[in-house]
Amino acid sequence: MKSTALFFNRLGEIMLFLKDVLTTLWVRPCRLELVMEQIWHVTVQSFPTTAMAGFFVGGIMTVQFSMQVNEFGAAAYLGGLATSATIREVGPMLIAFMLSGKVGAFTSAELGTMKVTEQIDAIRCLGADPIQEIILPRFLGIIISSFFLLTVGLMLSVIGGATLGVVFAGINPQEYVRHIPTILGIPSMISGLIKCMSYALVLATICTYMGYFTTGGAKGVGRAVVSTSVLTMVSIVVFDWGTSFLGQLLQSWFAVG
Amino acid sequence: MTTKPATNLLTHNPFSIFGHFVIVTYKNVSSFIQLVASTMVQLFAHLPRRKETIQQLYFVANGSLWTIAFCVTFASIVTILESSFHMKIVIQNDSMVPGFASLLILRELGAVVTALLLTSRIGAGMAAEIGSMKVTEQIDALKMLGINPVRFLIVPRLIASTIGCVLLSIIANMICIFAAMIVADKFLGYPVGVFLTAMRRFVDFQDIVFASIKAFCFGFVIPLVSCYFGFHCKTGADGVGRATTQSVVFSSVAIIVLDFILSYTFSYFY
Amino acid sequence: MIKYKKLVKSFGTRTVLKGIDLHIKAGEIVFILGTSGTGKSVLLKNTVGLMKPDSGEIWIDGENVSNFSEQQFLPIRKKCGMVFQHPALFDSLTIYENIAFGLRKHFNLDETEILKRVEQALSLVNLENILTKRPGEISYGMQKRVSLARTVVLQPKVLLFDEPTTGLDPVTTNSINTLIQNLSRKLNTTSMVVSHDMQCALKIADHIVVLDQGQIVDQGTPKQLLQSQVPLVRDFLAEARDLL
Repeated sequence: MKSTALFFNRLGEIMLFLKDVLTTLWVRPCRLELVMEQIWHVTVQSFPTTAMAGFFVGGIMTVQFSMQVNEFGAAAYLGGLATSATIREVGPMLIAFMLSGKVGAFTSAELGTMKVTEQIDAIRCLGADPIQEIILPRFLGIIISSFFLLTVGLMLSVIGGATLGVVFAGINPQEYVRHIPTILGIPSMISGLIKCMSYALVLATICTYMGYFTTGGAKGVGRAVVSTSVLTMVSIVVFDWGTSFLGQLLQSWFAVG
Repeated sequence: MTTKPATNLLTHNPFSIFGHFVIVTYKNVSSFIQLVASTMVQLFAHLPRRKETIQQLYFVANGSLWTIAFCVTFASIVTILESSFHMKIVIQNDSMVPGFASLLILRELGAVVTALLLTSRIGAGMAAEIGSMKVTEQIDALKMLGINPVRFLIVPRLIASTIGCVLLSIIANMICIFAAMIVADKFLGYPVGVFLTAMRRFVDFQDIVFASIKAFCFGFVIPLVSCYFGFHCKTGADGVGRATTQSVVFSSVAIIVLDFILSYTFSYFY
Repeated sequence: MIKYKKLVKSFGTRTVLKGIDLHIKAGEIVFILGTSGTGKSVLLKNTVGLMKPDSGEIWIDGENVSNFSEQQFLPIRKKCGMVFQHPALFDSLTIYENIAFGLRKHFNLDETEILKRVEQALSLVNLENILTKRPGEISYGMQKRVSLARTVVLQPKVLLFDEPTTGLDPVTTNSINTLIQNLSRKLNTTSMVVSHDMQCALKIADHIVVLDQGQIVDQGTPKQLLQSQVPLVRDFLAEARDLL
């Protein structure tokens, strides 16, 4: 019971924090170059990890699918199936897991360090608003660059899938690519992108929140990082389900209408 | 607030950057291998500290149980719905869905999602804990007392995490299958009996063994990577944060790559 | 200049400040002494709104700031600079950018003017040639002085110091104490200094306040305090007398 209360308490705090950030964005937006700097920073820093994760996720899906598709003699569909499954579902989720480790943990560690060494208080003492000066650029930067990174990761997962299709299942590349459009429709791609967008939002909110409210020295920073990555992963799974559910709802709507 | 520019990467000579990269990587890899080797020696040289190991096991397994159960439930629901979606496209009906989904769950989803969640919870936790011990000079204090920190800190965590990861992945697989069964029954119109029959046709006993082997490997890697970063933590609040971040990133990447290698290897045994 | 009326602040069940009544006049140097954990830093943080009091009032320059929002506090903080116990420099910025941060925020100055003021502030704390370094590259004592310069450069009317000399060598300690004195005499700055150092308090303070268990146990000019009968004050004095 107590933990449930704690959970909702935390959820409310996050919502209030998000409200603060968005009001700041509306009333006193930060300078654009700060955001650009964050975007550059996050993207450069996480690009190799994301690219690698994307490639291997695509590869894993192809390996798994090829075994099952071969049983039905539907090897021609391998490319379409693996790509569609990766883009709609597995890809965004696993790459977002990666990003939560890389971007989320890094940002909350950075902000947490600033908090426990009183740098955030120092900003307030110099008459500046820390949310405007340091939270908002990171928040926007993370949203934009992780959306970008997720998209790039997905593209690489297609390449990874194709590579493994050639190496492992012995399909020639044209064959692999030919069936991608028949299975992967526009709605699927939109669904994948919406997922990426929502994960980026979740990631940015949680890691800035956790970093900004860190207490208790070096240990506190460690704790903040741990809870950031756990909370992000849990929320990503929940959002994954939520967006899938919503997507299905919309699809059945349009099918009927 | 501006952030540090990417340490003059562009102004340096590319050869020197590459050389620097090689040297740093070599140093890191060699000290990581050193750590792994001394852990192995300590693992078999002495009996592990029983009480500490059990405490760690409690922390690893019991502490993460609900988070993992919660996450894999959602993940498996999405998986079965998505498989049904794809099946309908390719072969017009989704009669294969139960078997197909349970294979996907057993072979990939259960172990990988469990391991990734464990990474962020216990891997990061270990790095943070050992990192702050290092920063506050507790590890040096251990050495001064004549205690081998590897034996004292890493071995119990290694054993606990390996056992815990295998147990948790078995539980996670069960929960996944149950969740998938319920969804198949309620939303896709496959009663439990049909689901089980279809599952029997697809899933062999070796799938379960392979899933456990995967979990074993993941559980083995996580504490090694995390403890390595914890031991090499730089001083200050900054250092602990960085150690924690790096341990999460490196163990997640290690898990994905390992998973790929294992899946590839196992595919020759089916 | 600053007035506290029945200020109370507690954390959970622990009451740290139990009704502080204090009046600080403009241009004074006030030392706040007390053993660790008696709420000295909390008093300072309440003054600039980094913490909110549970009850009681704080008046700064004729304004009751105790219920101010974060936004309303921004101009107050421009008036009241605070120097933290730890340097709290921004790791990601150079020393120059650190000191210029507040200037860029509050004044519309061109770059040469900013550079001039930054160098001026650094020379006040006896530092030079470190403009392009980062906080991690200079010693702790230097960081602390840069942090002081960052606050002083805005020329605040009130300066709050949270243990400005703890952990510094005697030479630097002396120069910082002289700096506090000079700022107060030349620019008529009001200073509140939280410290353990009775000796220098006796030397430069106009007014000394001794806190214990969240309450003021004694206050007065250095001369008055030397006659004090309160045991804690006598303990503090005994140590200072030994050194004198």
